[in-house]
Amino acid sequence: MFVRIEPASRVPIYRQIMDQVKYQIANGTLAPGDRLPSVRELARRLATNQNTIVKVYDLLGGDGWVVRRQGDGTFVARSPDALTRTERHRRVGQILAQAATQAVHFHIDRQELHDLLNAEIDAIEKDRTRHESG
Amino acid sequence: MNQDEPAIRIDDLTKSYGRKRVLERLSLSVPRGSIFGFVGLNGAGKTTTIRCLLGLDRYQGGECRVLGLDAARQSLAIRQRVGYMAESQKMYDFMTVKQIIHWVGRFYPTWDDSLASALCEQMQLPPTDKVGVLSKGQTSKLALLLALAHRPELVILDDPTLGLDPIARRDFMRDVIGQLQSRGVTVFFSSHLLYEIEPVVDWVCILHEGKALKISRTDALRESVKSVMLRPRDGASLAGVPGILDVQQVDRRVSVVVEDLKAARPALDRCSADGLEVADLNLDEIFEAYVIGRRELAGVGPDVAPE
Repeated sequence: MFVRIEPASRVPIYRQIMDQVKYQIANGTLAPGDRLPSVRELARRLATNQNTIVKVYDLLGGDGWVVRRQGDGTFVARSPDALTRTERHRRVGQILAQAATQAVHFHIDRQELHDLLNAEIDAIEKDRTRHESG
Repeated sequence: MNQDEPAIRIDDLTKSYGRKRVLERLSLSVPRGSIFGFVGLNGAGKTTTIRCLLGLDRYQGGECRVLGLDAARQSLAIRQRVGYMAESQKMYDFMTVKQIIHWVGRFYPTWDDSLASALCEQMQLPPTDKVGVLSKGQTSKLALLLALAHRPELVILDDPTLGLDPIARRDFMRDVIGQLQSRGVTVFFSSHLLYEIEPVVDWVCILHEGKALKISRTDALRESVKSVMLRPRDGASLAGVPGILDVQQVDRRVSVVVEDLKAARPALDRCSADGLEVADLNLDEIFEAYVIGRRELAGVGPDVAPE
């Protein structure tokens, strides 16, 4: 699992790590059942406090992205279907609300925003096909 | 000592050099097992504080307790039990790595030879090279090794990455996480670069001109300090907004950095003509707001005068 931290970013470190793991799960770089590095190992590699990594894994676990097994490790979850459709809508809705706010602020119209979103989905699906065929 | 007692406790520490006041009623406490970042510009009083903690400098007021010991009276006992890495530490260039490890080891009853050799190997230090020919990165690793091999419960690092290149710095931080946090050692870490130590530390104290401007858990600092952009209503005043760290007029709008967005939001809402635009800040921006932020708008006092 490759993760990098941008120290001067305005995004808090735990969120930088979390977003990258989510992205890699979404695009298939990390497959269901894959074991994530141990807290100690990832903390050392990223030169980051172990408590930050614990927080990331706990949050990912709480959202159903990974499964934490005591004494065994942290694994990519089998399927997001564990969450109800309403709950999945609520979570994606929160993120889209932020995107919508920014779009209105920067005078990006509906069509442009839809195009941008489609481009992102295309990129993820392209990655995913590549990982599944390779 | 009582295990609940913090590893370091400073109460109202006051210290002057002659007539110059260097520390002004500084109070802080470092929980056991934490990594505590002590951040300030050069000259803020970081090294002076550390020297007081180790009993190397006398102080005029207040109290310092380190691992339950009184710094003013038990300096020697503290130095036996604390790993200390001084700012730009001088070492004997003529000794080899192996010789200096052996030499320093004789001062500590709790010195662990096998740990010293293990660290030497893990940090890839060349045992037979003279200290004088080591790179800066290697020298700081060696200093860290010398501060660790007597198995201290607490390690005090005074700006240990000063003068290191970015790769050596990161490598050093890895050692702090891998060698210290994994072992449950408490770390007191001073630095002049907040963004650099952010990933590593649980707690941050921002020190400025001898005063602690802020002590907070690192993640809480990021969550509470925010930048807010707003267009002031006619006749609105920012006077009632709690915890303003910095205000600037930007065209017809005002940019405010507040210490705690949750606490300040209702008052900010009342000032704004059309809502608030909230942005996250990085740690450097937060540091800057605390240290050089302007609490009032020049010329108009705390009132915001719409153009």
